[in-house]
Amino acid sequence: MKALRNYLDKIKPNFQEGGKLSMFHSVFDGFETFLFTPSTTSKTGVHIHDSIDSKRTMSVVILALLPALLFGMYNVGYQHYLAVGQLDATSFLTVFMFGFLAVLPKIVVSYGVGLGIEFVVAQWKKHEIQEGFLVSGMLIPMIVPIDTPLWMIAVATAFAVIFAKEIFGGTGMNIFNVALITRAFLFFAYPSMMSGDKVFVRTGDTFGMGAGTIVDGYSGATPLGQIATAADPSVAVVDVLGNPIGTWDYFVGLIPGSIGETSTLAILIGAVILLWTGIASWKTMGSVFIGGAFIVAIFNAFGGSAALETSVWDHLFLGGFAFGAVFMATDPVTSARTETGKYIYGFLVGVIAMLVRVVNPGYPEGMMLAILFMNVFAPLIDYIVVDANIKKRLKRAKVTKA
Amino acid sequence: METLNIFVKSIFIDNMVFAYFLGMCSYLAVSKNVKTAMGLGLAVTFVLAITLPVNYLLENFVLKAGALSWLGEGFANVDLSFLSFIMFIAVIASMVQLVEMVVEKFAPALYASLGIFLPLIAVNCAILGGSLFMQEKAFPNIIQATAYGVGSGLGWLLAIVGIAAIREKLTYSDIPAPLKGLGITFIVTGLMGIAFMSFLGIKL
Repeated sequence: MKALRNYLDKIKPNFQEGGKLSMFHSVFDGFETFLFTPSTTSKTGVHIHDSIDSKRTMSVVILALLPALLFGMYNVGYQHYLAVGQLDATSFLTVFMFGFLAVLPKIVVSYGVGLGIEFVVAQWKKHEIQEGFLVSGMLIPMIVPIDTPLWMIAVATAFAVIFAKEIFGGTGMNIFNVALITRAFLFFAYPSMMSGDKVFVRTGDTFGMGAGTIVDGYSGATPLGQIATAADPSVAVVDVLGNPIGTWDYFVGLIPGSIGETSTLAILIGAVILLWTGIASWKTMGSVFIGGAFIVAIFNAFGGSAALETSVWDHLFLGGFAFGAVFMATDPVTSARTETGKYIYGFLVGVIAMLVRVVNPGYPEGMMLAILFMNVFAPLIDYIVVDANIKKRLKRAKVTKA
Repeated sequence: METLNIFVKSIFIDNMVFAYFLGMCSYLAVSKNVKTAMGLGLAVTFVLAITLPVNYLLENFVLKAGALSWLGEGFANVDLSFLSFIMFIAVIASMVQLVEMVVEKFAPALYASLGIFLPLIAVNCAILGGSLFMQEKAFPNIIQATAYGVGSGLGWLLAIVGIAAIREKLTYSDIPAPLKGLGITFIVTGLMGIAFMSFLGIKL
């Protein structure tokens, strides 16, 4: 730590006014304040002294994402070796390394493209580098299928960072969740690479590792994909080899799906970190789950198709629902900001996610679109809540006057 | 049940703004604050709710091929559908006059802030579009046509109120100067369209 501080202090003059690298001052500043809490304070106006700032907030979110990410990496390897029939002969470490090597390029591309744009914009606008992309850049590789080509991630990330964030003025001013716009862009621009039963399990090798032929009877369909296409309401969901799986498997998460979203267990660990540190709002998070459970209970009462009859727990554990509820619906920038509004916002996210998942034949999963849809109406919810409060207080004022 | 389906469908799935991009001019111009947007949205909804059933009757008893057969055998072959545009517009324009008078009388502040866009509802493409879609969809009865009208209006209201709230929030955003105002509104509308695609393809 000390050596790092000394090194930073040594190279700092280069980046200051008049130094030979002064054009990169915002890059340096970004790294320095990321590594060490800045000691500068506001000189004018009222301010609150707190050890937490947005860089520290983002670091905690990254920490909360780690369990899901590490599990996702292991699961990528697990599904692959299961598909090629070598799981029993392969050590835990090899399985994890396979997944690690498969996911790492996506993280590098997402951060490279996103932070690259951030740096350019920060230099151009003479801003400091904003830290919001730290989390978005981690979310993006976690919500795509493992076989998404890297160039697609690069294009979609660039689109989302420019059109959903930078033109709104950067971190804290965007209306839509950047990671979700990336996912939606991929989903609508390259639908064949984003859904179906080919993309969620890597069947080829990664950098020459884990090559093998697919075993007979292999199917890479996700549980939600199977439920959506099932003709018979009492469908038996199976894993990639055709063995039946159930609620416990959905909870633990060794199932095909996007990289970070499969394990509700790992996501819950992240949720505990977020709630314990007070970074995410329990109001939003809880009401998403309540909204989802509520509408699924109604669907169960009607029944009639596989998706309608899947139980509440299964629906909550499957797909990106838990991941979206914990890490994306709670985004403090794009969700509702008033306290009452958070309940309404979360509840509607849960309801719409399940509605799209169950009622819309086109999409097996609806979490991404549900959160985007509610991003649109979050400002309206806030407006209505604030307006109602103003009216309530006006009424009270009149009573005391009379 | 069918009526309810048409109603829900016209609000969310066949949304006038996000599915057809109709009524954009007033959608873009009068969405600077939520109150005015709400007023215009209600006016549009009201006009749609009145004109659709009226136009439905016109269509089915005057304009459609063979619609005049209730007058007698000799009229069975008369097809007046070439008149539908002008008839629909005439009905819409007269309804808008009515709305304008009501708004001016009872909500003068709203009347002032809506300005030219209130009489211009008459040429709001979402409204003529509503009547023409009604003609194309050939609803079996007047109740469904009315449900379609009210639903389309509410969908448009939802869109304009949503963008108005976003634009109020965007006042605090640091938007690059060339994109301020309409530019950013177009981009937000496009992104909102992506969000509304969540309902695309739902069959009710």
